Amino acid sequence: MNTSASVPASSPFRQRWTVSDIVVASTLAVASGVIFWGWNLSYHAVSTLFTAYPPAASLVAGMWLFPAVLGAVIIRKPGAAIYCEMVAAAVSALLGSQWGLGVLLSGLVQGLGAELIILAFLYRRFTVDVAVLAGAAAGLAGGINENFIAAYYQYDTVGTAVHIGGFALSGAIIAGLLPWLATRGLAATGVLGPLKSRRAHKESALSGRVRETSAT
Amino acid sequence: MSTTTPPTPSIPQSPAEGRTAPAGVRVTAAGFTYQHADRERPALADLDLEIEPGEKVLLAGASGAGKSTLLHAMAGVLHEDGDRLSREETAASSGSSAAVEGTSGRKAANAEALNQLLLDGVSPAEARGRAGLMQQDPESQVVLARIGDDVAFSCENLAVPRDEIPGRVSAALAAVGLDYLPLDHPTAELSGGQKQRLALAGILAMQPGLLLLDEPTANLDPEGTVQVRDSVVAAAQATDATLVVVEHRLTTWVDHVDTLVVLEPGGGVRHRVPAQRIHDDTALREELDASGLWLPHREAGARRTAEPSSSRPTRKQGSPLLTASELAVHRKSPRKSWRKGPPVQPVLSGVDISLAPGAALGITGRNGAGKSTLMLTLAGLLAPHGGELIAGPALKGDRGAELPDSPYQWRSADLTSRIGTVFQEPEHQFVRNTVADELRLSAEQAKIPGTRDSLFTEDEVAQRVDRLLGRLRLTHLAQANPFTLSGGEKRRLSVGTALAAGPEVLMLDEPTFGQDAHTFAELVSLLREHLEAGGTVLAVTHDADFLHALDAECYDLSPDPSPPISSDSSAPTNPDVRGLSENQALISTGQSDNTLIKREDSTPLLSAIRDTSWLGRRGPLGKLIALLFITLALIATIDPVSAAVVAVACFALLPVANIRLVTFLKRIWIFAAASLMAVWGAAIAAEESGRVLVDLGVTTISTGSLEMGLSLGARAFAIVLPSVLIFSTTDPTDLADSLAQQLRLPARFVLGALAAMRLLGLMAEHWTTLGHARRARGLGSQFLSQAFGLLVQAIRMATRLAVTMESRGFGAGERSWARRASFTRADGVVVLAGFLIAAAATALAVAAGTWNLVWA
Repeated sequence: MNTSASVPASSPFRQRWTVSDIVVASTLAVASGVIFWGWNLSYHAVSTLFTAYPPAASLVAGMWLFPAVLGAVIIRKPGAAIYCEMVAAAVSALLGSQWGLGVLLSGLVQGLGAELIILAFLYRRFTVDVAVLAGAAAGLAGGINENFIAAYYQYDTVGTAVHIGGFALSGAIIAGLLPWLATRGLAATGVLGPLKSRRAHKESALSGRVRETSAT
Repeated sequence: MSTTTPPTPSIPQSPAEGRTAPAGVRVTAAGFTYQHADRERPALADLDLEIEPGEKVLLAGASGAGKSTLLHAMAGVLHEDGDRLSREETAASSGSSAAVEGTSGRKAANAEALNQLLLDGVSPAEARGRAGLMQQDPESQVVLARIGDDVAFSCENLAVPRDEIPGRVSAALAAVGLDYLPLDHPTAELSGGQKQRLALAGILAMQPGLLLLDEPTANLDPEGTVQVRDSVVAAAQATDATLVVVEHRLTTWVDHVDTLVVLEPGGGVRHRVPAQRIHDDTALREELDASGLWLPHREAGARRTAEPSSSRPTRKQGSPLLTASELAVHRKSPRKSWRKGPPVQPVLSGVDISLAPGAALGITGRNGAGKSTLMLTLAGLLAPHGGELIAGPALKGDRGAELPDSPYQWRSADLTSRIGTVFQEPEHQFVRNTVADELRLSAEQAKIPGTRDSLFTEDEVAQRVDRLLGRLRLTHLAQANPFTLSGGEKRRLSVGTALAAGPEVLMLDEPTFGQDAHTFAELVSLLREHLEAGGTVLAVTHDADFLHALDAECYDLSPDPSPPISSDSSAPTNPDVRGLSENQALISTGQSDNTLIKREDSTPLLSAIRDTSWLGRRGPLGKLIALLFITLALIATIDPVSAAVVAVACFALLPVANIRLVTFLKRIWIFAAASLMAVWGAAIAAEESGRVLVDLGVTTISTGSLEMGLSLGARAFAIVLPSVLIFSTTDPTDLADSLAQQLRLPARFVLGALAAMRLLGLMAEHWTTLGHARRARGLGSQFLSQAFGLLVQAIRMATRLAVTMESRGFGAGERSWARRASFTRADGVVVLAGFLIAAAATALAVAAGTWNLVWA
């Protein structure tokens, strides 16, 4: 599920997960499962909007990707994106998912997409551009999985391109920008106190540097 | 600072023995300072305190004095900011602990090693298992889904040998009086007080020398409070453990402890006196009273706010604002009953209530009696199940004469300006980024019935906001984030958001839970103003003082719904008698279906009761491997034959899982609908081939694309079936045991996920309440706001749960397992069956010529 716990302390990624990190990440993933459940109620209505051209339905698929970037941006430790996305997938499997055990594969692939982007920035940058990129990568990976690996869809070339493109776009917005904004909102409420992202609301959007309050 | 030390009941242990001996721990703080990473000032500064082994201490102080921080420090769950300090800090404390060990038994006095806190001479982090911490919120004190597992959890974390665990578990459960329940009793069905006692059992199973309790009864009713207090006192006596309790209701504890320690806000210890001093030291009493603490024989609420009743305007003038007759209530909407199944039985029926202007009504009664459900129904947030709920002309107002009679049918904007609801957790109501915006939103959301025009002009809105900010003493916090306020400030703001829309009726759910005497008094005076202005207050509460202070009538739901009793602050029934009858009811049924305090479980697949079917009794690993084979066989190919084979096999295996066909169909029909969407999608957007069946102009449906669609749909449907079959018969706790022990996945992560999974039902409840709170505030359905609210609550719960888990030794080192996950011959049969189904599906598809590898 995750290997970061055993990474030796001397490596550049030595940030060992604390108990708070683990429980908060797990709970976020489970809460995401509840949000999926709330979303599913509306999704039945939403999906009919795409009856005319089903491949475009991936435009709302980002709703199933947001735990990856949300976890990564809140926990800020190696493996957070994969862990959160996989636990969320496991919860939906336990509750009875549309894709059965296949959701674990989806969760792994999508989480990996986001994780690779965060890794590329060495787990040091959690700015809006990185979050959007990570969301898009999760969507891209999800699109590739659903069209080629698990192959739930067999659209023609145009359909496949639309589906994957829509997936990435949706991921960038719903699973990249929104989780980033949510993290800032959460940091402002003070609930992130025990976590590395506790000052996220004071970080500048693009440089990530904490703005000092010029009180003196 | 006074340093009287009462006689200690036990002989101090030397630190070397202290690790295994159950006797009391000596706590030594010298110059101890701690600053939270996100705060500007230290929570504790330069604190010197010595607590003798076996001493029972009540720790008090004004809110914000650092009481909880000190407890967390003693429990070893405070951490330095991960980015700095950690290494040096650890080195320093272990070095100094060696120095103290040499002179142990004497007074604190290692003047050179400042900023330290030691338990028997070692740092709390090293003294793992010596201290146990109980927090305020019962929900976050439970880690696992079954009571036996929950108690065993702490033993496992301390790597107690497997043979020793069952003995410790039953002894601990007996010590807290929960041994009449079966070990697999679901923790979700315990009442708040029982959850706290279970938490105590989990702590006692570690055989700790130091019991730390952080407002353990603040969220409990009087009955639960007494039971928890008595269990704690008895356990501390029996084990000679040192006891430190933080509590602002001093009355509950002061006659059961040796010492009262009062902390100085932002500093060290202000007083350290024998607890009995509180009864006769007038100066001390005055001082504690001024800090907002509740003193014995002088309940602040009654004293500070009581005015002669004659000064109140005559009550019950005018016609009733809201009348309920023969009302029946239930959490679930009656409209959902079109689904097959037994009709929902109301939790309460035949309720007659009339709310008159200027009158207050208290709804009292035991947990699970349906108090909150009744309140939510009266507040127009839940649909009535029977009887009538009628808003009088006075409540509808001149401009609202056209409104329907039942508040449930009103727009949220019309509701919020007539009936305001204050939820038990103030945070459920917060939707804006600043205090001022919260109040402004409420005032702006009040609309003229039938229109989208605001009830108040812009100037009026600004006036209302300013006046309320001043009245609530929140003006200096107008730009603060509501979530960052203190408990008392949040409570005041939550009442303010309801009042800002100008409702006549105000409903409050347990408004005084966990509040100090200051907030209590302010709440009472706010509500009395509302009453004097002709409004109505209805409160669900256990707090007799509160009802007395409001001069409220009492509607008691305890024995059975009865007409309102017109007496102020009726004395609650003897809690011990009630507790006993509850226990007896459980013993007599001998079952785990405790209907008295059953909560709704919206997640049928995650119930704690193990499945007893043949498949349910098999190990999770075998089932997982079988599921993997079948899923792989289906994913590898897109063809209808293999899908059909798997589907047939699953239906044939229903008896093995003891699932009735109807139940199974109910669970999977939604997935069938989803597969139809997959058929349609492929039919119009897949590569065209063969004969064109339908030409839609832009796109066409051909035989090829339709065939592809049918294959995809069948496959999507078939993938779901075995996983529904397997997961309906698999217990998450067993699955976690198996993943950690057999697959060697990291135990910290597996158990973290499992503990979070237990919060699922709780989060579903939060979701519903957040929805109610948004409607009560005059907002429509707001998915993102609700999702954000859920995330805040989820993280709050998780943070507290993490503290609970860590204080029970979780995550530090090797652990043992109370249950061995083993692979039996029957599990082998399951794997073989899975393999055979997968092989048969593939073989038949190949034979039929439909098999095609998707990755080829």
